[in-house]
Amino acid sequence: MNAIEIRNLRRVFKTSIGVIRRKIKEIVAVDDICFDVPHGSLFGLLGPNGAGKTTTVKMLTTLLIPTAGSASVLGYDVVEHADAIRGRIGFIFGGERGLYWRLSGINNLRYFASLYHVDPKVSDERIPYLLDLVGLKDRGQERVEGYSRGMKQRLHIARTLLHDPEVLFLDEPTMGLDPVGARELRQVIRNLQAEKKTILLTTHYMFEADALCERIAVIDHGRIVAMDTPEGLKDLVSDLSVIEIEVFGLPDKTLGQLRQLPFIDTVNVEDQDQRQILLAHSPIGSEAVPELLAAMDGVRVGKVIVREPTLEDAYVRLVGGS
Amino acid sequence: MHSWWAMKNLRAMKSSAVMTFRQNVFDMFIIFGVLIQPLLIATLALWMIGDRVSEAIIFIVVGSGMTGLWTNLLFESGNSITQERWTGTLEMITATPTPISVIVFGKNLANVSQSLGSMFVCYSLVSWVFGYQVSIQQPLLFILSLGMTVIAFICFGLIISPIFLLNPSVQRWQNALEYPVYILCGFLFPIALLPDWTTPFSYLLPPYWAARALHGASSGGTSPSDIGFSLLMLVVFSILSLLISQILFRIMLRKVREDATLGLQ
Repeated sequence: MNAIEIRNLRRVFKTSIGVIRRKIKEIVAVDDICFDVPHGSLFGLLGPNGAGKTTTVKMLTTLLIPTAGSASVLGYDVVEHADAIRGRIGFIFGGERGLYWRLSGINNLRYFASLYHVDPKVSDERIPYLLDLVGLKDRGQERVEGYSRGMKQRLHIARTLLHDPEVLFLDEPTMGLDPVGARELRQVIRNLQAEKKTILLTTHYMFEADALCERIAVIDHGRIVAMDTPEGLKDLVSDLSVIEIEVFGLPDKTLGQLRQLPFIDTVNVEDQDQRQILLAHSPIGSEAVPELLAAMDGVRVGKVIVREPTLEDAYVRLVGGS
Repeated sequence: MHSWWAMKNLRAMKSSAVMTFRQNVFDMFIIFGVLIQPLLIATLALWMIGDRVSEAIIFIVVGSGMTGLWTNLLFESGNSITQERWTGTLEMITATPTPISVIVFGKNLANVSQSLGSMFVCYSLVSWVFGYQVSIQQPLLFILSLGMTVIAFICFGLIISPIFLLNPSVQRWQNALEYPVYILCGFLFPIALLPDWTTPFSYLLPPYWAARALHGASSGGTSPSDIGFSLLMLVVFSILSLLISQILFRIMLRKVREDATLGLQ
């Protein structure tokens, strides 16, 4: 049996434009998506900003009503049986809002524990344990307004584990955390995975999805464009090699010319301080390098690397990086 | 099963009240509404009444205290859900197993209970600063009326908060609702001084019956049966408010989930 089942789920937002001649504009945030998450598995939702990941999570956590289609969590419909779902799930939305800043970390957790109907004796034991788990043991008595963004995010993680939920929705949980904090959180997620919790994770970090998820759905413009295991997704680009070229001041015109080359699948440029990294996907691998360099005549070039594709390369290909 | 569920929700309600009280301790608006504004109103009333002040002293104490109760109810209980939305906590509390009405009840309990401080500061002002003798004619009935007032105000607040969230245009009239209620409900002077056509409006407002019971028990000159009738009206309004609030909360939750406005700032 699946912990989460989604069938033809769709969510449309309406917004108005203009003051005098008001026009209603419809934005399709989630468009006819279907997927299942089996009990005890970790499922990833990958996609660019505005792809529909958070909207999907909000529908599954009973905070939004779908426009069409259906979704169920632990066998309960998210619209009709929202009350039956709420005590059995936990969720985190990225960011630092959603806490009572004038209260201490401990008082925030005590309050949410009572709203989740956790027995006071249990919460008295569980709150110190969770504060220790998220590295806030020594700061729990302080008011949340003095916490850093990362500390607030970690407090959210403790909050979501208060009632030991069966299903967890983690919407970009490592956003705002420093590298050490993010690594520790990934370990927490692995531990939860070992406890056979069902987890739906959304993230921008490909290595995070690659390291944690058993299955991944790539979502773009509200639609699922691919769904497979991380290895299966990487296979989508197994016919390609990735050529990374360090460049300094690449003109847009040259970039356009590179995209027209017949042996190039996709080309992207990432800005990194004073330099740029040109990422080209090509089926001919290192043989493409001389022609690429020739096409960039006059552009200052640094290091050139040819490597095997990663999950990120598969993602770029799927969501249209050309 | 039901008693277990009720106990859990009672505990959640208590937590909500404690949490609200802890937050309010740092809120300057509440300190002004509960402590400073009633003092200003009481001082003004003392000067306005002049020579006849000793006869009306308890009326001033109770009436000024009630202004603090109403102001706090209107702004703090009225805004209780809206404030949660601004801080991003509305999504967090909506997705818990505790009904939102239980959480708001706890918040109102804290807000209304601490507003009783208004009466205490007004009492302190007139007895300790101005040196007047303040006595309550029917202490037991006064305590009973005070208890019923707290319950009725909490229940009335349960109606205001979802209305304010559903209709932001109504909330824009929040400031304008403050003083007419002081006048229509007879907080500071009897409604008999107002034109007759205003009386039905007074009867429709629970704070009027609270003021009538509290003034009657504290100032005397009112029969226990008349105070009893006011208390009965407070019970009726409390039950009605509870019933209406349940419908409003259901409509509100459905609408905010449909319109995706739970998390808006």
